[in-house]
Amino acid sequence: MSSKTGKPAMRSAAWRISLWATLAFAFGTMVVFAFLHGFVASDIQRRSDAWLSGEVEVLGDVAERTPKNALYDAVVGEVAELAEREVPNKPATANGSDDAVFFLQSGGDGALKLWVGAGNGEAHLQAIRAKNIPEDRPTDITVPGFAVPFRVASIRMDDGSQIYLGLSERDEQRVLWSLRLRFLVLWLLIVLLGFGIVFLTTHRMLSHVRRITEAASQIGHSDLDARVPTTKRNDEVSHLALTLNRMLDRIESSMHQLHTITDSLAHDLRSPLTAIRGKLEMSLSTITENEQAEPVVSAIDELDRLTDFLNKSLDVAEAKADALRLTRSVVELDDLLRVMIDLYEPSMSENGLRVRLQSRGPVSILVDSALLHRMIANLLDNELKHLPANRNLTIELHSEGSSAILTLEDDGPGFDPEVLLHVFEGRVKGKTSDGHGLGLAFVDAVARAHGGTVAASNRKEGGARIAIKLPLAMEQSSHIMVPVVSKSN
Amino acid sequence: MRLLLVEDEIDIRNFLKSSLEETGYQVQAAPDGKTAERLAVEGEFDILIVDLGLPDQDGITLILKLRQLGVKAPVLILSARRSVDDRVRGLEQGGDDYLTKPFALAELLARLRNLLKRNSPAGNDATRLRVQDLELDLLRREATRGGQVLQLTQQEFVLLEYLCRNAGRVVTRSMILDKVWGMRIQPDTNVVDVHIYRLRGKVDGAGQQPLIRTMRGVGYVLKDR
Repeated sequence: MSSKTGKPAMRSAAWRISLWATLAFAFGTMVVFAFLHGFVASDIQRRSDAWLSGEVEVLGDVAERTPKNALYDAVVGEVAELAEREVPNKPATANGSDDAVFFLQSGGDGALKLWVGAGNGEAHLQAIRAKNIPEDRPTDITVPGFAVPFRVASIRMDDGSQIYLGLSERDEQRVLWSLRLRFLVLWLLIVLLGFGIVFLTTHRMLSHVRRITEAASQIGHSDLDARVPTTKRNDEVSHLALTLNRMLDRIESSMHQLHTITDSLAHDLRSPLTAIRGKLEMSLSTITENEQAEPVVSAIDELDRLTDFLNKSLDVAEAKADALRLTRSVVELDDLLRVMIDLYEPSMSENGLRVRLQSRGPVSILVDSALLHRMIANLLDNELKHLPANRNLTIELHSEGSSAILTLEDDGPGFDPEVLLHVFEGRVKGKTSDGHGLGLAFVDAVARAHGGTVAASNRKEGGARIAIKLPLAMEQSSHIMVPVVSKSN
Repeated sequence: MRLLLVEDEIDIRNFLKSSLEETGYQVQAAPDGKTAERLAVEGEFDILIVDLGLPDQDGITLILKLRQLGVKAPVLILSARRSVDDRVRGLEQGGDDYLTKPFALAELLARLRNLLKRNSPAGNDATRLRVQDLELDLLRREATRGGQVLQLTQQEFVLLEYLCRNAGRVVTRSMILDKVWGMRIQPDTNVVDVHIYRLRGKVDGAGQQPLIRTMRGVGYVLKDR
């Protein structure tokens, strides 16, 4: 968890998955609702149309039968008002005297003959005239002064007059509005709930994947006994963890085999070497003549070189198989370089070489200190052996991002172009070299075992350049990050 | 000096036994851990040499067992393994030493003497060291030879101090690298020799009796008489 806590949830895969899933769900439910809404709206329309058509027919019938006398207006008006009370979709709170319904009779000349409803009816008549209303089916009209349109049915009388019955769509719209509002509230709740559930589930699952990733990344080159966390559930993630662990088992066992082989090889060679060396030394102690001692001493020297070669070969072989065993501790590279240069400086100046350290302060790395010591000794031995007199060696150290950069630059003859291509492969050496060519291969091997790199090149100005990059120790990398980030701004 | 040698390889055991006896140690040799345990309990030893790869048990296990049995003598661990594991480092912290095979006999002898001296109570907290007419003031970090102050660098003083503390005994190049520079490396070059050469130039002036002697193929010794 440690390395990922700073990461905002909105950038996690769980967030993206739940966002897309929720969007798809929201869109889908919206489409379903739109369909239902259309169905409900048309059903309400159909019902009110049926009512309107029925009522207008009744009213037409009443108007037809009622004698056209002084009582006509009262009788038809009464019937119209009664009809108004039976309006469909009407809310319970509304009282009868509202303006939801109007009854209008226009004469054959188009003048307003009878009006029942709010206002004087002129505006309604105007609107009706503006729009030609067919006999058979109700039509929407918009009356100035009313926000909601009216649904109007008409019937033609025998006397040429026209009867209109109008029903405001306000109630219908109110029903639909309340439907939409309720749906929206429920929809939001469901969508949010769904998002939450999907996010939590995927987050939980992916956090397990993240733990696996973190554990797997911590299982370094040499630390192979660790395993990724597993769960009891029998899902894909736990299969992933189990598979990874089985893979680690196999890697560990082959690594163990490799160690056994190299160890027994080393052991089987070393024991006789020790015995031979001991016998040579014993015979040396009995020899008094200097001349006789010479071959024995040189045999011991050869034996020591053989041992050194054996050690380095096995180290390089193990490192190439990513199997160097590391015992890590925090090493202050700046201090170490000073000690090393102090050790090598007399030999260098004896050979006419000038060595200079350019360091920008402490650089901590988490390394196997014994291997690191040998690596730097190899680099300095290499310079000491190959640089002609009166040359300069500059050792530069700084940290960059999360890496320590150690550069060795000299103004000597540089690498032979042929050698340069294979300089880290081992068993490659310049024509004048007397080593066994494992020095730089060992440097490369150690750097790689620590997750670093080595690059060798020839400088434009002439001379060789070796650049080593090693990861910084954790606690320091965060401090170093700061100036780098601010620099890039 | 009574020495217990635990080593399973017969060749190495024989040559070590005879070489050590020649040097003046009373050596009892054991080919495995069981024998070693028995011998250690029966007799008192001043120092032990234990090989890590024993046929019946791990050398470290044996050392820990012997420590539990009350054996307090220092141990020189011999190892054919290439990497030094943490437990060996732990023992090294506790005052024991280790040597990887193959080793120079002189190196082994030098380390044995070093271990024995480390365990003897006297001499470690002195503030002045004296070898013949060479005198080191450890507090003022100043060296004089016949009353003349020697112009030594910090590092040269530490090197001379190490030689003085082991005056009369051979110290090998790898011991010098280990104790003076704190690293176990085997340079292909003569870095230690040049340091000694420079130091000698300052310590053994013209007309003076040379103090720092080179033991060919082995190391150096600061003569104490």
